[in-house]
Formats: sequence, C-alpha cells, structure tokens
Amino acid sequence: MSGRKKSLLKVIILGDSSVGKTSLMNQYVNKRFSNQYKATIGADFCTKEVVVNDRVVTMQIWDTAGQERFQSLGVAFYRGADCCVLVYDVTAPNSFKNLDSWRDEFLIQASPRDPEHFPFVVLGNKVDLDNRQVSTRRAQQWCQSKNDIPYYETSAKEGINVEMAFQVIAKNALELEAEAEVINDFPDQITLGSQNNRPGNPDNCQC
Amino acid sequence: MEVEQTSMRSDTNSTSEYLDAEGDPDAIEPETSLYQEADFEQEAEQQNHSIISELRDGLDATRDTSALSPEPGQHTKGLAASAESLALSTSTSAKTEDSISGLEEEYDYQHDSLWRGQKKHIFILSEAGKPIFSLHGNEDKLATLFGVIQALVSFVQLGQDAITSIHAAGIKFAFMQRSSLILVAATRSNMSVQQLQLQLGDVYNQILSILTYSHMTKIFEKRKNFDLRRLLSGSERLFYNLLANDSSSAKVSNNIFTFLTNSILVFPLATAIRSQITSAIQSNCSKIKNLVFAVLIANNKLIALVRMKKYSIHPADLRMIFNLVECSESFKSSENWSPICLPKFDMNGYLHAHVSYLANDCQACLLLLSVDRDAFFTLAEAKAKITEKLRKNHCLEAINEELKQPFNAKLYQQVVGIPELRHFLYKPKSTAQLLCPTLRHPYKSLVELERLEAIYCDLLHRIHNGSRPLKLIYEVKEREVVLAWATGTYELYAVFEPVVDKATVIKYVDKLIKWIEKEYDVYFIRNHATF
Repeated sequence: MSGRKKSLLKVIILGDSSVGKTSLMNQYVNKRFSNQYKATIGADFCTKEVVVNDRVVTMQIWDTAGQERFQSLGVAFYRGADCCVLVYDVTAPNSFKNLDSWRDEFLIQASPRDPEHFPFVVLGNKVDLDNRQVSTRRAQQWCQSKNDIPYYETSAKEGINVEMAFQVIAKNALELEAEAEVINDFPDQITLGSQNNRPGNPDNCQC
Repeated sequence: MEVEQTSMRSDTNSTSEYLDAEGDPDAIEPETSLYQEADFEQEAEQQNHSIISELRDGLDATRDTSALSPEPGQHTKGLAASAESLALSTSTSAKTEDSISGLEEEYDYQHDSLWRGQKKHIFILSEAGKPIFSLHGNEDKLATLFGVIQALVSFVQLGQDAITSIHAAGIKFAFMQRSSLILVAATRSNMSVQQLQLQLGDVYNQILSILTYSHMTKIFEKRKNFDLRRLLSGSERLFYNLLANDSSSAKVSNNIFTFLTNSILVFPLATAIRSQITSAIQSNCSKIKNLVFAVLIANNKLIALVRMKKYSIHPADLRMIFNLVECSESFKSSENWSPICLPKFDMNGYLHAHVSYLANDCQACLLLLSVDRDAFFTLAEAKAKITEKLRKNHCLEAINEELKQPFNAKLYQQVVGIPELRHFLYKPKSTAQLLCPTLRHPYKSLVELERLEAIYCDLLHRIHNGSRPLKLIYEVKEREVVLAWATGTYELYAVFEPVVDKATVIKYVDKLIKWIEKEYDVYFIRNHATF
C-alpha cells in the first residue's frame, strides 16, 4: 500500500500453443531465449518494473497455457486484467486465424466494463524465421478492424521489438486506469433498526 | 524449425508423459527444493516454473501416501507439495539487470533469507490477483507471489471447493476469501489454522472499517481490476499495528491474548469510580439523538461503555476502535471527527466518531459514535461537560492513578500466596472480556514470550477444537506446568512453575478463582449501561 504514484498492471498473454508467449515474456523480463520448447501448464508469472510517463509501473505478467488441455484456469486468470496481449506466429497461419477466437474468449471470460476500448496488443512473433506465412498487411488489417489494436512484429529469439511492445502495453493499460476515477459515492447513512444493524443480530456476542 | 518440431511432439504426448518431460532435465523435485536453495537460485533464473505443473506433481506424488493433510476433513489433501511451489514458481520475478535508470534497485524477496525467515506473513490481494498488502516487503515486488496465490485459490475453486490451509515444511498457510478479497496468513508459530483465520478476520474487518462493505463491493463490481491500494493508502499503519500483536513483531506485549480469545481488556477500577464515570457519560448524553455508543478507553483497555438500548458492541468492533486509537497520535492533540465503520454493527455504513482525550492531564480517550454526520458540535459540547464532571468528582485522578501504577503490580500483590503462578488468562463465559496480567519474569524476554504464546495457542486450540473440544487439560511440561479449564461460567488458562505438583495446582486454582470472584467488578464490567 505504499505510495500513491505506484501502479500495478495485470497483463495477460494469450495465443495458440508454441507461438512464443513464454519466450516473449522471458526475453522481456530476463533477456533470455531458449530454443527448447516446454509447454506451459496452467500459467507462469513474471514481474517487471517499468517507467511510463515518470511513473513506476509494476507489470504483473500472466503467461497462460496455449494448449487447451492445460487451460484449467480460464476465467480466474482473465479476471481483472488491465491489458491483453494476443500473440501469433507469423509462420503459422492458423495461429493468426485463431486470434479472433482468443480475443472473443477473453472478452467473454473477463467481461471488461468497456469491451470496445479494452486495451489489446497484437504481437506477430518469430519474424526472425525465413518461412513467413502471414503478411504484415494482413495482420494490420485485422487489427484495424478490431478498433485499431496496436500491432508489433517481434522476435523473442533476437529480442526484436519486445521491449518496445511491452512499453506500449504498459502505456495503454495505464491510460485506461487513469480514466477510471475513484468512485466517490459515499455509503449511505446508517439507519438504525434497519436490516443491516438489527439489534437481534445473533452474531453480536457482547463485550 | 526446431521449435515447431518439439511442439508437435509435445502436442501428441499424454499429460503424464509430458509432466515427466517437464521434470527433466532441469526441473526441481518439490520434495527437495527447499533444502537446496543455493543450487536452486541458479537454476531458477534459467527457467520458468509453472505453478500448476508443480501442483500436479504434488498431487501425483501424494495420491498414494495421503498423509500430508494433518487436519482431517479439510480438502487440502495433496496440496502440501504446492506450498513449496509457492516458493518455487515465483522465482521468475524479474531481476532487471537491464533496469531502467532511475528505478530503485529491484529487490528479490524470495531469495532474501530475512524475508523468508519471518515468523509470520500476511498477504491481502484482490480476486484478480492484484496485491493490496503484504506485512513484510514491498507488495509490488511480490506481485508474482500474489499471482501464484490467486492461482492456488482459483484452482481449488474450480472444483467447487475452497482452500482452507496448506501445511508444508513447518509452515502453515491459512486462506480466507471474503467478497472480492483473498487473505492469506503464513506462520511458523504454533497458531492453529482457526487462530490464523481469526487474525485474517480482523484484517478483513480493518478493511471494512476503512471502506465499508458496500463501497468496496460496488467498486469491484464496476472494476474487477481496481487497485484497492488507492483507497487504503495512508491507512497502512492500522494494518501494521493490528498485526503487530504477537511475538513475531519482536515486541513483548499482551495484545495477542485478547485477539486469541476474541475479547478485550478492561481497565481495572473500583466499582464506585466506574459507576460515577458511567453516570457522568449517561447524564450528559441521554438527550442526544442518534448517539449509539460512548466508549472510554485508556492504555488499550475499556474504562466504560454506554450504549443505545437494544444495541451491543462486538469485541471485534471494539478491537477496531482500540487499534485506531492506539495508532493515531493526532487524537492526542485535538478533537477529531472521524468516520468509522464497525463491521459487526453495520458493515455497510459509517458511524461518525467524535474522538478526543479527556484532558491534557488525563490520557483516557473518549469516543462518541453517532449515526448523525452533523453531530460534531453537540458531541463536542457533551464531551466537555463529561470531562468537567469527571474532574469535579475526582474520577480523572482515579484514572491517572491506575495509569501510573500498572495494574498487575497490584494484581500480583493481591494474589499473594501464589508466587508459583507465572501467568494466567481468565475469561468469563458471559462477556468477551479477558483478565490477563501483564507479563513478568520469565516471560519478559522475547524467546520466553514466544514459548508462552505457543502454550496458550495450543491450549486454546484444544479447548475450542470444533470436533473434539476438551474441558480440562493438565500438563507437566519441561519448563512449566500448564492448566486449561473450561467450565460453564468461565475459561481459565494458567501457567505455573515447573516444580508444583497437581494437588498444589488444584489448591492454587481454587484460590485464584475465589479471588477473581471477589474482585470481579474491579476487573470486569457485568453490564454496559444504556443512555
């Protein structure tokens, strides 16, 4: 509870299995990349502090399982997210096609207050590979059609654009947070004898 | 391409085979991990631990043994191993070697032996897994751990169940879910899960006391991602003070015992003085509409309570008041008008409290609690009259005298003939008040207090055990003889010198009970007056 200026953002990473969600997170947080593939079961967590507009922001990154059989915690994980990162693999057209359902799934599960303006970011990963199958234009078009989702092409392996993408993620999520004012309707005055404070309350073990 | 291939293979594998692969080559066996911290630290940096994989490993490993759940009837079986993954899977917390200049240095608590070695931890988080409070360490830097806690809670919730506790490596974790909050206590002490939950209940009440239930629920209904710290900032001291009630805070104090027995302490006063004080409050407040409670306290003990007819005050609510007064120095310098929610009285609204000390020369604090938010001047006037009256009939002097002379000096003097009685707790069944002498030798030192605390925790737990409550416990321990006795009218917990035999203990207990009965009205308030 320290410091009013501090912020914490819950960031969810979604996408098909093996598009590189965990690798992106690792590259961003630990500056490391491994070619070995290990599927995520359930979820992993990472924390990273960044500075956005002179504010220290802690990013609480929730890296989820792409494989359906490991997604045991859907709703629970999406709940209360500040930003959602959709990842696809530029060499795997199916992973791009599935962005639609990942986005829908998120909006249904997380049911954010203003789904139209919920901050998503799309990352086309593995641009370091030669056999690219999804063109930049195609991806950009899709993003535009979804209320102008910011789009970045990344390589978790080479560290291309990763830092910048996450910086944008933090910035967009933070803007939304700033808009939300603290709700200031003070609770009603207590009415004696009302339901809430009935004298006969059995819980009232007396002092 | 290699990535693609491995991924396809992994897709076709069955879950269990996959898990084996996960454990190899660099995964850590949950059973051994805690004891290999030096190695673990290095490895941890190279890999992401998946909490659920650890959890499943744990489940598999314990399925056959099933001996890891020490509290029968609780659905925590097999989760023991996951406690270790609590420590494990958070290891990915960022070490920003690349940290942006200007940031304070990133600190990794999970590898800090001081942080890990704390006797007690308390964590509060939102349902979304966002940190709200950590007793030790900056909660922002523990964001990963909070995520793991949320995962554990949700995982069990998914099976239409609720996680109550985890027991692992000598640490108890107690969980509590209330409205949109998750509260967790972890301890190495002797406190039972129920006792930890009582503590979490107090913490939850403290949040309600600041925000009210309705306000907090409305906020989370509108925004599940709300950072509750925004509304609680500035109130941190209340939480720290509330939780600094046992030896884990390295303070020698008595507060733990009121909390453990869900009671409060009464300021000892002669019956005549107390009734004079009560009537001074009554006569000056009886005509004030909407005044619900008048509470006079000194030194964390209740001097007098006057209440509106039909309403009573819950000990948990009184503890909120004590806590507020104890950690608000500013009350000493001026009159205050402060909203406070007493959750057991009405969790959805604020009472408005006129708070002030009786006089510069009398450090007793008077709280006049009204439902009327415009009552300040009426109450201020009443307070002035009360002080005047108490000065006139020498009650201020009587209070001061008691404040100067710690009451247990007197108490022990009067309980003469029992020098072997080291300490005791006495709680009548009819009220939530506790008689508890301040600590004396040998429990003045922290180590000894810890032992005393452990003894009482254990006795209280066994007397109040839901499935098998005991009525009488007599135990000869290495360094003391202990007794717990629950009758129809009181509970007594007493600690004697180790040399005393059973017959003598019985004789002494008899003597003590007789003495308490005789002095009852000095140390307890039978009935609280009404306006």
